[in-house]
Amino acid sequence: MIELQNVTKLYGKVIGVNDFTLKLGPGAYGLLGPNGSGKSTLLNLITGQLRPTLGTVRVMGQSPRNNAELFRRLGYCPGSEGLYASVSGYDWVRYLQQLQGMTAGEAQAAAAEALEMVGMAQAMHRPISSYSRGMRQRTKLAQALAHRPDFLILDEPFNGLDPVGRHELTEVLRKWIKHGKSLLFASHLLHEVESLTQSFLLICGGRLLASGTAQDVHAMMVGMPNEVALRCNDPHALASLLLREHAADSVRIEDSLLTVATQQPGRLFEQLPGWLKTSGLQVSEMHSADESLQALFNSLMKMHRGEL
Amino acid sequence: MGNVGAVFLFEWRRSLTLPRMAWWGMLAAFPVFIVALIRFTAYRSPPPSNWTWLFFALVPMLVSMLGTLLWTTPAISAELERRSWVYLAVRPNGGTAVLLGKYLAAVTWVIPPALLGLSIAVPLADTGDSWRIWWTMVRLLCLSCPAYGAIYLLLGILLPRRAMVLAVAYTLIFELVIAWVPAVINKLTIQYRLRAILVQWCDLSDIAVRPSGVLALIGDDPAWQHVVILMLIPPTLLLIAVAILRWSEFSASAESDV
Repeated sequence: MIELQNVTKLYGKVIGVNDFTLKLGPGAYGLLGPNGSGKSTLLNLITGQLRPTLGTVRVMGQSPRNNAELFRRLGYCPGSEGLYASVSGYDWVRYLQQLQGMTAGEAQAAAAEALEMVGMAQAMHRPISSYSRGMRQRTKLAQALAHRPDFLILDEPFNGLDPVGRHELTEVLRKWIKHGKSLLFASHLLHEVESLTQSFLLICGGRLLASGTAQDVHAMMVGMPNEVALRCNDPHALASLLLREHAADSVRIEDSLLTVATQQPGRLFEQLPGWLKTSGLQVSEMHSADESLQALFNSLMKMHRGEL
Repeated sequence: MGNVGAVFLFEWRRSLTLPRMAWWGMLAAFPVFIVALIRFTAYRSPPPSNWTWLFFALVPMLVSMLGTLLWTTPAISAELERRSWVYLAVRPNGGTAVLLGKYLAAVTWVIPPALLGLSIAVPLADTGDSWRIWWTMVRLLCLSCPAYGAIYLLLGILLPRRAMVLAVAYTLIFELVIAWVPAVINKLTIQYRLRAILVQWCDLSDIAVRPSGVLALIGDDPAWQHVVILMLIPPTLLLIAVAILRWSEFSASAESDV
């Protein structure tokens, strides 16, 4: 569905995307990265708004640049606001559907249906200037869904939504995915991506850091430094012990909580009970800080920055 | 073409707001106000040829230039500033449709107030040759609006971040200065063509027969030649504008052209 071959995008001397190679089949994918990581540049390349400085971009086997045929099958919800304040949500979505190639009648029906789908049926005839941020997000999503594209690209679609709104739109998108449609969902928040898909792409500094499922990335983390948090009656003594045994690369103490970074978590977990028994120290709580995808993301980011 | 029509109608609907209608009224009132000022304050009514030049300066020149400058120059830059461009650009031929639709909306928006102002101002002037002046100005208006609109649209695409500055600079340098330079370069301006047609259609022979310098200001080409050139300017410039638009990169994330 998407194929990027050694794609680099430069804005003058600034690198937007750096030697990006990627091949994705149909399905739902989360594009995860912090602000300024190159997510929007990547989406602009995929939607044909930008030309790669180097490399090639293919979407559904075609170049996306000025590609009318492809745009008929593509729905895009950008991160920027960009709505007309004085027109109603309904008029705006209808207008965009007419631009999509629908007749006036078809566009009216499609706009009404899409706005209802995202929960905007009540407010769709009000001017956009009177909408809350969440309502504007819903309207933006409606314009991307209305023509029933095969491939939906969303850039931070949950910005400004309250928890109820997030849940409702998550359900809309889950149904979308269930119908066999493809989705590329960019976000800087892990839980947003996790709520929709387990397949994700992690980017930073315009580079693809990791891709695959959460399990794939866990496998990549074997041998990488992990963080383990231990609540102990004497954290200073435990820290000293772990450093003496070369079981910790670094330690951090906050009150009674000792956080240990180690490249040998297996050895730590295996030998810790014996060390505690001989030293007489008591650990009341222990958990890996690296169990969530967020931790993987943090670790990969640190690796990328050379901090690990 | 359906997409162009959709943009055209959408832009027209958007134009029916109080501020924009106020601008519409000002464009219509401007020639009326100037003519009324001269008509009721001048010691003696100017000769018909002077009235003709005045109407030429007011309607096919000023109203047409001002109206199209305000409307077509920011056609794309306004969408970029508002960050709404990306929604349009990811539609099939969306950019082209927006460009052409906005152009048509602008031209059809500027001509009616100019026509209204002209239709009130010409009888008010009471020149004795009202019908011919009115009819000539209407035809010149229908030639000038599309031509100026296309030029300003193109300038707006060439430099979206400084569209208005570029358009005003073009107007001042080319249409108001170079157009009056008695040399071949003035043939590059719209005003030269319109002026040459005016002299022939209104039979301003007292100017046309003057030798040397004046001839360079109006030329000796037949009127039909100028009309053809003026009619060819809009499609040519629009084609160039579409080509530039399709070639350009407008990044939504950077909020500017890159």
